[in-house]
Amino acid sequence: MDFSFPREYQLFRRMVREFAEKEVKPLAKEIDERSHVPLELVKKAAKLGLLGVPFPQKYGGCGAGEIGYCILMEEMNKVCSSMTTIIGAHIGIGAMAIYLDGTEEQKQKYLVPLAKGEKIAAFALTEPEAGSDAAAIKTSAVRDGDYYIINGTKCFITNGDIADVITVMAVTDPSLGPRGGITAFIVEKDFPGFSVGRLEKKMGIKGSSTAELIFEDCRVPKENVLGQFGAGFITFMKALDVGRISLAAAVLGGAQLALEASVEWAKARQQFGGPIAHKQSVQWMIADMATEIEALRSLVYRTAWMMDTGQTGPEFTKMAAMCKLYGTEVAHRCVNYCLQIHGGMGLSRDFIVERIWRDQRITEIFEGTSEIQRIVIASQIFRPLGVRIRP
Amino acid sequence: MKIVVLLKQILNPAGFVVRADLERIFVNVEDYIINPNDKNALEEALRLKDALGAEVIAISLGEPRAEDALREALAMGADSAILLTDEAFSKADASVATLILGKAIQKIGDYDLVLLGQRALDTGGEQLGPRLAEYLDLPQITNVRELSVSDGKVRAKRIWKRGYALVEASLPALLTIAPDSNEPRYPHGARIISAYREWEVEIWGAKDLSLTEEELIPLTEVRRKAFPPPREFGEKIRGTPKEAARDLVRYLKARKVVS
Repeated sequence: MDFSFPREYQLFRRMVREFAEKEVKPLAKEIDERSHVPLELVKKAAKLGLLGVPFPQKYGGCGAGEIGYCILMEEMNKVCSSMTTIIGAHIGIGAMAIYLDGTEEQKQKYLVPLAKGEKIAAFALTEPEAGSDAAAIKTSAVRDGDYYIINGTKCFITNGDIADVITVMAVTDPSLGPRGGITAFIVEKDFPGFSVGRLEKKMGIKGSSTAELIFEDCRVPKENVLGQFGAGFITFMKALDVGRISLAAAVLGGAQLALEASVEWAKARQQFGGPIAHKQSVQWMIADMATEIEALRSLVYRTAWMMDTGQTGPEFTKMAAMCKLYGTEVAHRCVNYCLQIHGGMGLSRDFIVERIWRDQRITEIFEGTSEIQRIVIASQIFRPLGVRIRP
Repeated sequence: MKIVVLLKQILNPAGFVVRADLERIFVNVEDYIINPNDKNALEEALRLKDALGAEVIAISLGEPRAEDALREALAMGADSAILLTDEAFSKADASVATLILGKAIQKIGDYDLVLLGQRALDTGGEQLGPRLAEYLDLPQITNVRELSVSDGKVRAKRIWKRGYALVEASLPALLTIAPDSNEPRYPHGARIISAYREWEVEIWGAKDLSLTEEELIPLTEVRRKAFPPPREFGEKIRGTPKEAARDLVRYLKARKVVS
C-alpha cells in the first residue's frame, strides 16, 4: 500500500495552488459580490489546461485522470466556490458525458475544444418538475428527417448562459419510461430554437450562473445523439457518478479552508483572558473538523483511484455516492463550526466564513441531494440481496 | 540558438521555521523547489525560445531528488534536461561545483547562452555565475533584468548602482538574471503529466564528465555552522532639536566617534 501522491500530482497540485492563490483568490470576494466570474479568468485557467484536466491528451486534455481532476477541484474550492462550480459543471458533467459516451467524431468535434477551454460546456437535465425525480423530465425530442426537434424547458443549469455546448436529456419515447425512453443530445448554443431564459439570484455560488434554458422547436442534427438512442438515462447517471467524486473533492477543499480559518481565529480571538483556542469547546470542534477532513480525503482519493484504474462497477457507484454524501455533510459541519467559532464576527462580510457558509449549502442539494445519495448507497447494498429500493 | 539554464533545487522556505533564539531550524514539510531566481533565468530562456526559437537545456547539480526540479523545467517548456548527480559530487564546494557544471556545459557544447539566477536563495551565494564564466572563458553579464539577442550578440539591461546599465556581449555568453526580474510562467497541466510519464531526464555522473577523484576534492571545508549574532537595536534620541543634538554629541563622544 502506498498512500503518497505520485510526483506528477504533487507538481500538478503546486501549479493549481499557485494559480488559485495568485489569480483567483484576489478576485473571490468581488466575484461573490458582483455575482460574476470574469470570463478572462476562465480563459486564463484554460491556457494551463485546467478546463480539460481528466481527459486524455489526444482529446486536448491534460491526461491527469480523475485524481488530477480532484486535485484541481480541491485546490480551487479553497479559494473560490463560484469558479469551482463553473469548472465542475464544464468538466465533470458537461464535457464528461461526451467523453464517456460520445463517438470518436463527437469527441473530435466537441470534446477537444471543450478540453482546451476554447468552448464551455453545460449539462441540462433538471426541469421545473424533475429535480431528484430526474426520470420525470418532460422535454421531448421528435425525429424529423435528419433532425430531432427538441421542445421543453430546463432549469437551474450551471453555465447555461455562457455554455457553447450543452448536453441535453430529452424524452424520445414516453411509452418506454426512463430505461429506453430518454436520449441524450449535444446541442450547440447557436442551434435554431435554443435560447437562455431567466438567471437565478442565489444565496451562494453567486458568481456561477444558473440559467433557465428554453427549447422551442430546437433543431438538432441526428448525429448529435449522444450515446445509444434511448439510453440517455444511463449516460447522465454515469456522468453524475464521476461528477460526485470531484464535487466531494471540491468540498474537501472548502472544509479545509473552514478549518484553517477556524484555527487562525481561535488563536487570535481573546476572551476570558486568553485565546479561545484554550477553550475545550473550541478545541473539540477543531479536532472533529480535522478528523472528518482526513477521513474525507481518504475516501475521495480512493474513489478517484478506483475510477482511474477502471474499477467502475456497482461498487464504484456506491463509493461515488458516499463521497458526495459524506463530503458535503462534512463541509456542512465544518462551515457551521467555523461560523460558531467566529461568533457574531462570522456574519460579517469582512470574514471569509460568511461567504463559504453560503457557498457550501448548495452542495448538499445539486448533483443529487444527500437523500438521493443515501438511496443510491442503500440500493447498492440491498440489490445483491434481491431487495429492490425505490425512491 | 542553444540555451543552457542552470537550476538549483532548494528546500522550500515555506516548509520550515528558523528560530534564531533557540538556534534551531524546524522543518515542518520537507518540500523542494527550484531556486526562485533560477526560475527567472529559465523564464528568460523560454521567452527567447518563444520569440526567436531556441533549444533550452536545463541542467542541475544535486541529489537524485533534483530530478523533480528538472521535470518541472520540462513542464515549463525546456526541451531536455540533464541531472548531474553522483556520490562523488556530494561534497562539492563552489570551486568543485564550477568544475562539474563547467564540464557538463562543455560536454553539451555548441551553446550560445548560459543562464542562471544571480543568487541562490538557500546559501545566499552569488559566486557560481562569475566562476563559471571564468572557467568557460565566456563574457559575463551579471544582475540582468532584461535581455535580447540579435546578430550574434546579447544586449542586457543590468542593475547598476542606482539605475541600469546597458551592456552588450558577443555570443556565446553567460548571464546571471536578477531576482524577481520576471514572473515565471505556470507549467501547463498536460506538460506536467508528460514530464513525468513520457519525457526523460538524462543522468550524468563523474565518469560521464571524465572527472577524477582528486579533481573533486573541495578547496574549502565547513567546520562549524552558527546563527548570526542577534541584531542590536539602536537608541532613539528624543526631545527638542537642541536637546537631541546635545544628546547625540554626548552619545558619539561616549563611543569615541567624535572627540
